Amino acid sequence: MPSDDTQSSPAMGVSRRSVIRGAATAGAAGLAATAFGAALSPAAAASTRAASSTGAAADAEVKAPAGPIVVHVRNAKSGDIEVFSGTSQTRLRDKDLAARIARAIG
Amino acid sequence: MSSHREAPEISKDPVADSTDIYAFVSPDKPGSVTLIANYIPLEAPAGGPNFYEFGDDVLYEIHIDNNGDGQADISYQFRFNTTVRNPDTFLYNTGPIESLGSANWNRVQTYSVSGPSGTLGSGLSCPPCNVGPLSTPDYAGLAAAAVHDLGGGISVFAGQRAEAFFVDLGAIFDLADLRPFANLHATFGLPGIPKGPGVNATNHVNVHSIAIQVPISAVTRSGHPTIGVWTTASRQRVTLWDADQGENVNSGPFRQVSRLGNPLINEVIIAMGDKDRWNSLPPAGDKQFAHYVTQPGLAALLPVLYPGVFPNLAALVKSGKPRADLEAILMTGIPPGIIKGFTNFTGPVVADMLRLNTSIPAAKNPNMFGLLGGDPAGFPNGRRIADNVVAIELRAIAGVTYPLIDPKFKPDAAAGLLTDGLTAASVSASPLGQFPYLGVPYGGFNTPS
Repeated sequence: MPSDDTQSSPAMGVSRRSVIRGAATAGAAGLAATAFGAALSPAAAASTRAASSTGAAADAEVKAPAGPIVVHVRNAKSGDIEVFSGTSQTRLRDKDLAARIARAIG
Repeated sequence: MSSHREAPEISKDPVADSTDIYAFVSPDKPGSVTLIANYIPLEAPAGGPNFYEFGDDVLYEIHIDNNGDGQADISYQFRFNTTVRNPDTFLYNTGPIESLGSANWNRVQTYSVSGPSGTLGSGLSCPPCNVGPLSTPDYAGLAAAAVHDLGGGISVFAGQRAEAFFVDLGAIFDLADLRPFANLHATFGLPGIPKGPGVNATNHVNVHSIAIQVPISAVTRSGHPTIGVWTTASRQRVTLWDADQGENVNSGPFRQVSRLGNPLINEVIIAMGDKDRWNSLPPAGDKQFAHYVTQPGLAALLPVLYPGVFPNLAALVKSGKPRADLEAILMTGIPPGIIKGFTNFTGPVVADMLRLNTSIPAAKNPNMFGLLGGDPAGFPNGRRIADNVVAIELRAIAGVTYPLIDPKFKPDAAAGLLTDGLTAASVSASPLGQFPYLGVPYGGFNTPS
């Protein structure tokens, strides 16, 4: 049976860290990252770079998903975020990340 | 229709839209059951140059519940993969397709099948669509070559077939002015309509079929011969249009978008506001929809649309008594002791599944009215290709089966005559005598849309 959307699937390593990396490294992260890259304002880009560098050590421990990472900000105000990769999904509650994504697209 | 375009959202997604499911003891192979799930409604045979195909991005499944809990105990999963051999031509085929390996066939689809023990087969060929006498000169031969023996008594086929379901859509959805009885219709004060023969709206169209034949012993539990069968289609949660690549990108877990067990349930029983939600759920959760079955809207409509024709049904509706007969037929199976020598009861769990008592052998002389016609090998004991499910369900909803739970109830005389005026003879394509049973699809050249 197909998975229910309320289930998180951490097996693919979709995490807040991989979302941040996806937003920072357009080439590796595919469609979603490409969209972010095109929309990033200088301020948001700086913020993303900071997130990337602070997560560099942790990044080395996490294998990046092979395909695109798709981010769905369900509610920017509350920080309710869904992240999809492969056949997995996870749900995050992160106001800072949601705000950065909102700034990037705005 | 049985389940063609039956819900608002799925009607926009034809490749994931289940149209019919059949389940029957194989008449030519006792000891096996045949399960056929059809998708893609109303394929116009001439619909090129991009002829119909399964969705590579859809997870198709046929489920079997063999312990009566409305959950799948066995699921056969089908995933498709399309290859374009030559992207530099607009043609589906560049010459006659005389074999499944023909280099002239430009858009080839293969599939994998998995079951309880894992992958049963992969790289299995679908046949092409039936394009016409120059493109697919021996279509029957091509399709026969696409029947795959997977060992262990399992055969599969996936590809285009002729639509076998017969229904007068034009009449049913024109406020149920069934042509054989149209002269009795209220017509809302508009000019009367003369009675006439039914018109098979699904004649001369094709569908895409997923068929699997498996040993009965592989799908039943010892001592429990009745199984519940349904099909689902699922899509990944995210689809993005990648304009750079000119294709969709899919991501996330699969979620069910289409479901089909008994014919016509989501079509004419479930209300508009619940149809797509119903499609997303497993049968085990159907208790929440049981009121649609026990108080069917169509039963209340018939006496209004046909004034004076259904007085006993009108009284039954007015009484508010729940239609326990319909609940048994459609949602639990018929318990033992109701019909002499017959049961397809799976237990008290209310779940829309096509229930098949596999211990009942195929009929030598099938009756298109199935159990109503005294033939326990037919619907609602499973469903065979030629079963007249429209007439059976119309008659049941009109009260013919209510005496099963209330012997004092006398059905209206008209209830036992209800029909849209069609039979399996209304289908131009003859069924095959062997797996996958559905007829050769109508060809594009000879059947222009």
